[in-house]
Amino acid sequence: MSVLQMVLIALFIYLGAIGSIVGNTIGWYCLGRPLVASFVVGLIMGDVQTAMLVGVPLQIAYLANVTPGGAVAWDLSYATYIGTATALALKGTVDSTPALIGLAFTGAGLGGVVGGTMWGIHYSLDVFLNRWAERLAEQGETRKMWMPNVLGGQAIGFLARFVPALAILAAINAAGSSSGLNIPGWFITGISTFGSMMAALGMGIILSFLVKKNIHWAIFLAGFVLVTYFGLNTMAVAIVGIIVAFIVYAAGNRQEAF
Amino acid sequence: MAKTLSAKTLRNSFNQWFFWNGCSQQAETMLGMAFGQSMSPVIEELYDSKEDRAAGLKRHITLFNTESQVGSVCNGIAIGMEEQLANGIGTPESIQEAKVALIGPTSAIGDSLWVATIIPLLLTISLTLSQSLTNAVWIGPVLYMLVYPLGTYLLSWKIFRTGYKAGLEGVQQFMATGQLDKIMEAVTILGLIVVGGLTATFVNASLNLDIKTTTQVFDAATQTYTDGVISVFNLDNLLNNVFPKIVPLALTLLVYYLYSKKNWKPIAIMGLILVLAVIVTIIGFIPGIGAFS
Repeated sequence: MSVLQMVLIALFIYLGAIGSIVGNTIGWYCLGRPLVASFVVGLIMGDVQTAMLVGVPLQIAYLANVTPGGAVAWDLSYATYIGTATALALKGTVDSTPALIGLAFTGAGLGGVVGGTMWGIHYSLDVFLNRWAERLAEQGETRKMWMPNVLGGQAIGFLARFVPALAILAAINAAGSSSGLNIPGWFITGISTFGSMMAALGMGIILSFLVKKNIHWAIFLAGFVLVTYFGLNTMAVAIVGIIVAFIVYAAGNRQEAF
Repeated sequence: MAKTLSAKTLRNSFNQWFFWNGCSQQAETMLGMAFGQSMSPVIEELYDSKEDRAAGLKRHITLFNTESQVGSVCNGIAIGMEEQLANGIGTPESIQEAKVALIGPTSAIGDSLWVATIIPLLLTISLTLSQSLTNAVWIGPVLYMLVYPLGTYLLSWKIFRTGYKAGLEGVQQFMATGQLDKIMEAVTILGLIVVGGLTATFVNASLNLDIKTTTQVFDAATQTYTDGVISVFNLDNLLNNVFPKIVPLALTLLVYYLYSKKNWKPIAIMGLILVLAVIVTIIGFIPGIGAFS
């Protein structure tokens, strides 16, 4: 990675974080999603094909990672930008796709833990901005109310994201360019296994959002056996799902539908 | 003459909320400062004296939280009530009460319908496209980057306008019709089928137990018996004959159980998956009984 590439990736780690200057809809919910993050890293590092190879499994594993509430133990933006960058920087040291995915998950683990800590710092320091906002409100300064929120919040947010991210990327880059790096075979097997099991994390947590009654388990299993017994691909399963959902909705509004 | 907010002020207030609602999130007032910022153009247009403006701003930097995209309905309602107050209808206290009352339901609808259902569903469709079209892998992220932010902006603006026009009673009446529940149920069913398909396609887990024995094997080419290694008991093959991909399914259900019944944090579950991965990798390398040996 060149310095410019590292700076750009670190910048996107900040933009994809909760409450960045572009807003949560464009930031956290779009640039911060692994599917988009890996695409952006692929563009910056000039290898979209490989980036998407790890981006899809990362997205599935972190599909349920959505809540921007106060208890973000896991920072998705940090995790997936660093994860994809790790896989691309170290791709010369492995020779299979599962191993590449394993590298991405290892990098994502590292990035996510650092990011979670940084979010904690951001969240704590923001409390002091309330005093500033109260002072402005007291004086009826309608034109200055953006300052504590946007200026103050983002100064803290940018420092907590951009600077540590740049340091991690520099460390990964150093590891990737050192010629002596030789990852042992058993370690590659281990991280490949870990990477392929991680999809269960996303699926299991999404299920706990979706399942509200027992019949929902039967519907979930129907989707499962459409693949295992009937051999459908995921696009075909999605189309079956849309048809069934429409029928259920129409049945709920019988008068309007028939 | 009754005061009416200009269209420009409404749009300005909405944009300040939509883009900067999460900038200074913290434990004391949550999104309070962001809400105050988004109300500042409204307060400026409605009140002229410094005292009235100060009182108006102070009302809106207090504790507030919601799922911000669907929660723009709260801003709409608060602006409508603020406009009425400037015309002498209602009290400052009733605005506060309405805001507090809206925190729960708007967070619940936003988080369950939008954040936990629509976003994963849209991502799933996008990643499926990337995965199916191997010579156009960019299509998934590009589609998502266009559809999600644009669609959300338009929806959030419409919800904001609805809140402003219909007011608290109007919004509560809509929520009581049950229309939202029907949409929610249909979307949930779509989500469940897709998640079932994704689980079967993408989750991989093996127990790596493959007991082998060295025995005499008949070699057809040379018509002689030679020493060879054959598998006598492969646990994964056995289980897959009973129900294909039962181990990945069991792992997924374990995650579900730990998250929703035992309240494990995602990071703890990730740690457990790492430990399980290490264990099955070690089993795989044990001479004689491991799949990799």
